[in-house]
Amino acid sequence: MNRSSSSNSEGAKAEQVIFEFFAKSLHIILESRTPFMSSRNFSGDQMIPVRRRTSSLLLNSKMNRSSSNSEGAKAEQIIFEFFAKSLHIILESRTPFMSSRNFSGEQMICSPSSSSSSSSSVRPRDKWFNLALRECPAALESFDIGRRSTLEPLVVDVVLVARPFDQMNSPGKRELIRNFSGKEYHSDQDELGGCEAKNEQIIERWIVQYDNRKIKEPSKRSSSSSNKLQVMYKKATLLLRSLFAMVRLLPAYKIFRELNSSGQISKFKLVPRVPTIIDPFTRREEAEMHKFAFTPVDTICGRLCMSVLYRSLSDVSCQHSAPVSPTFITDYVGSPLADPLKRFTSLPLSYGSPPLMSFQRRHSWSFDRYKASSPPPSVSCSPSPTRSDSQALVTNPCSRRLPPHPCDIPSGRRKESYAEDFSPPCSPSAPTQAVPRSITRTESAPVRIPAPTFQSNQNVVVAPSSHLKLSRHASLKPVRNTGPVESGAALEKLHIYGREDFRRNSGVKLSSNSSPRVSFSRSSSRSYQDDFDDNDFPCPFDVEYDEITDPSSSRPSSFEQRGDPHEPPHESSGSYPKKSQDAAVGALVNMLKKAPPLRQDVSESSITELCWNKKNKPGGGQEIATASMTASGIALAAKTTADALEELRSYKEMKNVLLSQSTKDSFSPFAVSES
Amino acid sequence: MNCEVCHLKELEVESFEIREVLRCILHTIIFHRALGLIRPKDIDLELFDITYVQCGEIEVEKKIDETIEHFISWIEKHPNKKSQISLSFYEVKSKQPSWFNNKQRSYWEQWYVNLNVLHQTKSPSHHSKLVMDTGEASEERNSRRTMLEQSLQEVLFQIIKFVNEKKDHVPPINDGVIYCPFEITMPSSSDSTFGRDIWKRMLHSGGHPSMLS
Repeated sequence: MNRSSSSNSEGAKAEQVIFEFFAKSLHIILESRTPFMSSRNFSGDQMIPVRRRTSSLLLNSKMNRSSSNSEGAKAEQIIFEFFAKSLHIILESRTPFMSSRNFSGEQMICSPSSSSSSSSSVRPRDKWFNLALRECPAALESFDIGRRSTLEPLVVDVVLVARPFDQMNSPGKRELIRNFSGKEYHSDQDELGGCEAKNEQIIERWIVQYDNRKIKEPSKRSSSSSNKLQVMYKKATLLLRSLFAMVRLLPAYKIFRELNSSGQISKFKLVPRVPTIIDPFTRREEAEMHKFAFTPVDTICGRLCMSVLYRSLSDVSCQHSAPVSPTFITDYVGSPLADPLKRFTSLPLSYGSPPLMSFQRRHSWSFDRYKASSPPPSVSCSPSPTRSDSQALVTNPCSRRLPPHPCDIPSGRRKESYAEDFSPPCSPSAPTQAVPRSITRTESAPVRIPAPTFQSNQNVVVAPSSHLKLSRHASLKPVRNTGPVESGAALEKLHIYGREDFRRNSGVKLSSNSSPRVSFSRSSSRSYQDDFDDNDFPCPFDVEYDEITDPSSSRPSSFEQRGDPHEPPHESSGSYPKKSQDAAVGALVNMLKKAPPLRQDVSESSITELCWNKKNKPGGGQEIATASMTASGIALAAKTTADALEELRSYKEMKNVLLSQSTKDSFSPFAVSES
Repeated sequence: MNCEVCHLKELEVESFEIREVLRCILHTIIFHRALGLIRPKDIDLELFDITYVQCGEIEVEKKIDETIEHFISWIEKHPNKKSQISLSFYEVKSKQPSWFNNKQRSYWEQWYVNLNVLHQTKSPSHHSKLVMDTGEASEERNSRRTMLEQSLQEVLFQIIKFVNEKKDHVPPINDGVIYCPFEITMPSSSDSTFGRDIWKRMLHSGGHPSMLS
């Protein structure tokens, strides 16, 4: 550039442009990164002396031209202004306003929330790159752009600092800092790269520099220098436009906005710094940060470069001290939506209210409450979330796919299924609460009731209502006279008639000699006991029940204590349909026992039953077998073996029919294997 | 001068989001092409956590709002359709007055904003209905909104990158001109956009071959 006068003039112009570019960049960055302290001593012209002072210092050995070289001076000025403007833009969007009370009216206009267009006066520096910015903070001067050489990179660090009065143990602060790097900060802050304090972190680093090493496209020297300057200025203008948009897209701007809009002193503050000594980031830090590099602007003897390293702060806003907009929680405990009673109105309460109340007394969570829980508050309270709302959205843990209906699951596994699908916070006792529904559903599945003759040793729950009594007698005749198939039908009838009673009584195990598949339900047994005491119909297994359990201890706990060694405790909820079946079978067996024999082979049927029970339920039906044996011992001698075998065959057929109907229930206590 | 073309990433929006999304994108582009003395305005979107910049010129704001309103009315007539809005910058040259027009437009940049407007089954006004929705629908809505916000940010980054990478084709800054003249076209259908734009350019520019690049 020293070789010819024309090249000298071009070089000078380029230098001037570069100088102004630097100055403008610095101006832009500082404007949006420096707190406003006082506007009284600050005027728009204060930048001019800086520029004047620095214009003579800006030139380095290569760019040192005579001041008469207008083009060079222009270039120099452009570069300087570019630096200043860049700094102004960055600082303007990174320096929260500390207090608006000390600000002059001019500064109030230039608050972040106000429009820049409200101010009609055009300051000299606004004309640079045709970008009128808000009033630059007084601290902008302190960066002393004039001392800088264009060759020195302009670095602006945006630091998030915890306020001094905050304690180190503040969870909010820790949380915020943790979100930056995924770890808590300790006393050793060497890894922060320039931050000496314990509670500081660089969240952005802007670098504006003039690279004069590369001379691009010498073939374009033919174009006039003025044209080159115009192109350079135009490109610098475009770059600064991009910078202005970019600073508002980066995560740090959200913090800036929150600090400005919070209206209260935050635990943190955003402090832009222009370090004199630049500590480079560690590799790990740099790996954690994102980088965006603006396309360099070519000058005559170099190029203007700008880049930014920034951290993603997607979690920061959630931990910030900015006030969170209220969210509506619709499924709070005790709310109408969460009221368990609300869902029970659809269930028949003639027999069910006591047990349901008992459910509620025992558990505050219920399946119905789970089902009735509302969608996440984020939807209910803010269909169009605002900035702060979007950050405060809370996901309702209960708002998930509803568990399958209890009756859709095989009865034997209902308890297990509930345990899998229900989440503890929502419904820890959902399996228990789902029992009433299962009872209700059981009503529509009469086929579950097996033939009582095959299952007399099973635990049977009595249907103590009078309805059942009448139906029992009504169904006895067909059972006695017609045959095994009819008896099955009679059982179904019995089940249907006594379903309301089954609703109450299911789930209660009267005998400890149950098959492992018969499950026990704690809460339901309690309800059964409530009805049991009022029962006017003697339980067919009163004897056995008395023998097995103590009536006074006929409580859920006692059943458990009796224990049921054969019974896994987790299958309690699946016992409801079986208990109802047991009740029906027990009732039928009782009727059969007490009914007067129509023919001699009635006793044979008892013997058959006895044989079957002994064979298939060695442990469970011992008591029943004993009673049967005693009653039929006398008639045994009068009956031939063939008749007995024929009777056995008929009952086997009946059994097979009933088994085929009850194959759906995998835990059917009456599922027996063929001998 | 070459005509640079930029196709922005397609965005899936609902009808009530069109206004904000289009304002954000169009204003951002025009701000980068408003090379005269301006006082930029920061605008915070209501539906998204995004702040974009307007050049601050009322005429620009009016023109954009009118275009958006026309677009919305067109969308209502053509639901569930992918649509494209073209924002073109041109220079007015009056060197060769043609039979069609005294002034010729020389297009030097074209932006294509691609939108896929989803059919909205539930409007935000049915707030009570939203409350009773299952958790799945609300979670899906929130995730879709989040995705759209990220996509919109990507589009804004895309604009900034394009503006940075390509500067040579931008005409010089003229004194007194605040923003480069532009036009926003809203095609009747996505298929006819290209043909109509070419026809318009031919009418205005006189058929300069570089316009077709």
